Amino acid sequence: MSQFLQILVNGLLLAGLYATMSYGLAMIYGVMKIINLAHAAFIMLGAYLAWTLFTYAHIDPLLSAPLITIFFFVFGMLLYRFVVRRVPMADVPTLPSLLLLFAIWLILKNLAYLIWTGNDRAILTSYTFTAFDIGGIRIGLIQFIIFLVGIGILLVLRVFMSRTYVGLAIRALTQNREASLLVGIPADQIAMIAFGMGTALAALAGALMALLYSFTPEFGSTFLLRAFCIVVLGGLESFGGVAFGALVLALAESYAVTFMEASLQPAIAFTILVIALIVMPTGIARTFEEWQIKRQIAQ
Amino acid sequence: MSRNTWHRIFSTSGLGWLLAVACVGALLYVPSRNPQGYLVFLGMSTFAHIAMSYAWDILGGLTGQVSFGYGVYFGLGAYATGIAMLQGVSPYVGMVLGALIALLMSIVIGVPTFRLRGPYFAIATIGVNEAVRVIMLNWRSVTGGASGLPLPSTGFSGPILYRDALILMLATILLYRWIMRAPLGLALNAIREDEDAAAALGVNTLLYKLIAHGLGAIVVALAGGIIARWDVYIEPISTFGFGRSIEILMMPVIGGTGTFWGPLIGGFVLTAVKDQIVSAYPNLHLLIYGLLLALIMLFEPKGAVGVARRLRRWIRARVGSSVVPGAGKEAPTEHGKVAGGR
Repeated sequence: MSQFLQILVNGLLLAGLYATMSYGLAMIYGVMKIINLAHAAFIMLGAYLAWTLFTYAHIDPLLSAPLITIFFFVFGMLLYRFVVRRVPMADVPTLPSLLLLFAIWLILKNLAYLIWTGNDRAILTSYTFTAFDIGGIRIGLIQFIIFLVGIGILLVLRVFMSRTYVGLAIRALTQNREASLLVGIPADQIAMIAFGMGTALAALAGALMALLYSFTPEFGSTFLLRAFCIVVLGGLESFGGVAFGALVLALAESYAVTFMEASLQPAIAFTILVIALIVMPTGIARTFEEWQIKRQIAQ
Repeated sequence: MSRNTWHRIFSTSGLGWLLAVACVGALLYVPSRNPQGYLVFLGMSTFAHIAMSYAWDILGGLTGQVSFGYGVYFGLGAYATGIAMLQGVSPYVGMVLGALIALLMSIVIGVPTFRLRGPYFAIATIGVNEAVRVIMLNWRSVTGGASGLPLPSTGFSGPILYRDALILMLATILLYRWIMRAPLGLALNAIREDEDAAAALGVNTLLYKLIAHGLGAIVVALAGGIIARWDVYIEPISTFGFGRSIEILMMPVIGGTGTFWGPLIGGFVLTAVKDQIVSAYPNLHLLIYGLLLALIMLFEPKGAVGVARRLRRWIRARVGSSVVPGAGKEAPTEHGKVAGGR
């Protein structure tokens, strides 16, 4: 029983991290209908920047995380302004945009190899192995902090999306691009901000993950597929859905370790991803809604 | 085969024939000069890659379904061939078996994933590729795990592998040419342009996509077998890996998808770039692929062939209007085309 609870807690904590790394993907998809394969590169760069600041400037990753977030917000906006907006965009994802973002991933990844080499890097702080006990369940301090950050971002995003002009415009563009253009939303500027935010969130997730895992320039790729899995489960366009998808995947992965080899764990996300794409291409939330509507019609 | 089929495959101008025969003759001559030479390896590698480039383009270019998952078939071909060699069976038996397994796998993967459109299909193939790689990496009794399997090197012959790769490449090019001109190609193009419209006109879209996928899988598996025989070593990460799938996809994209010359040019460029750079800077070639891909997507999605077409139009417009007398009449329409093309 205590093992069951321990895994449950671990899964919940992991879900916070997974949600943090997936929000950006959902936001960029929502506004631009771009499947951002470069997301993995931003996660990886966030981790390396945190490592560099920690190793050479002795700045704690928890302190440098906000700086990294701001830096990548600007970086993402510039990337959108000068590169991404040049490919044609439509109401559905286009292949040129997919391949372009993939190319950006490839470029950034291999630049990272040139700069930081392929050696494993890790950040060891004084609190890396700190943990506390609650009723026989061990909770790592870092895991707990990351979980709080994930929840915090979800709350901030909720307020931002419902109270600010930019947030409302992002939602409007997500729901109906043409109608948003008709009412005078500056789609290009909003897309630029959304791309910056998506990039910043990925880098923030990367900086936090650098505290938990060792990393190489390949770091982001398994997490990219996890993020896809989460976003597809959640329905591609809703932040509540993302949090829910993160929970599903994190729990599935945590419990799977008890009955299968840990090295097979990455395959779980891919399997869920493929099944989810095929069985419910609109995500759990929409599938559930459609099912309810069907039931009401039947009555 | 009907007369029509032969006509579709082989009909070309006299000059085209002459060039093709001359090229094949020259290529056949290479290994006889120096059987242990470096050119034999470079040729084998280039032919195998060009074959894979065309194989990808049957589904990717002609049918418009971008797949990041061809590494799966490469790995199946490589492992079937390698295991056959370890069992003391002829590697050709292994290659044929590998091709059949790849065909079956392409159907198993294709039936569910072809329900998805465009980029969703692309992402699903990334997932499938990664899942297969992880499973193969952990299936140690068969694949040898991360350390891989050394293959017996008895009977290794560079010129034979060179010849096999050349045959595979020529066969694939002819297959591609036939598809382009046959009703099958029309159906595939219809799916690329508008899948719903194609289905409404009575094209069995799933069946045709499966055919295109299966043909590509067979060729890639055969190429995997040839390269495994050359390397005398197989391991799951590089054979089933995502990097392999990317390489296969990059070639036709660099050259120009859905065009006859594109996959050939792309395969040649990619193998040459890789060959010149990979030993000195292990990761620089991927950086260059990335830059090439980004530039192509930003400026000329039809790749090298698109650039060549632009150049030709530009030259014709220039030459037509100023230099060649008599061609002046055509010049305005050519100008119009250039303007429209941009």
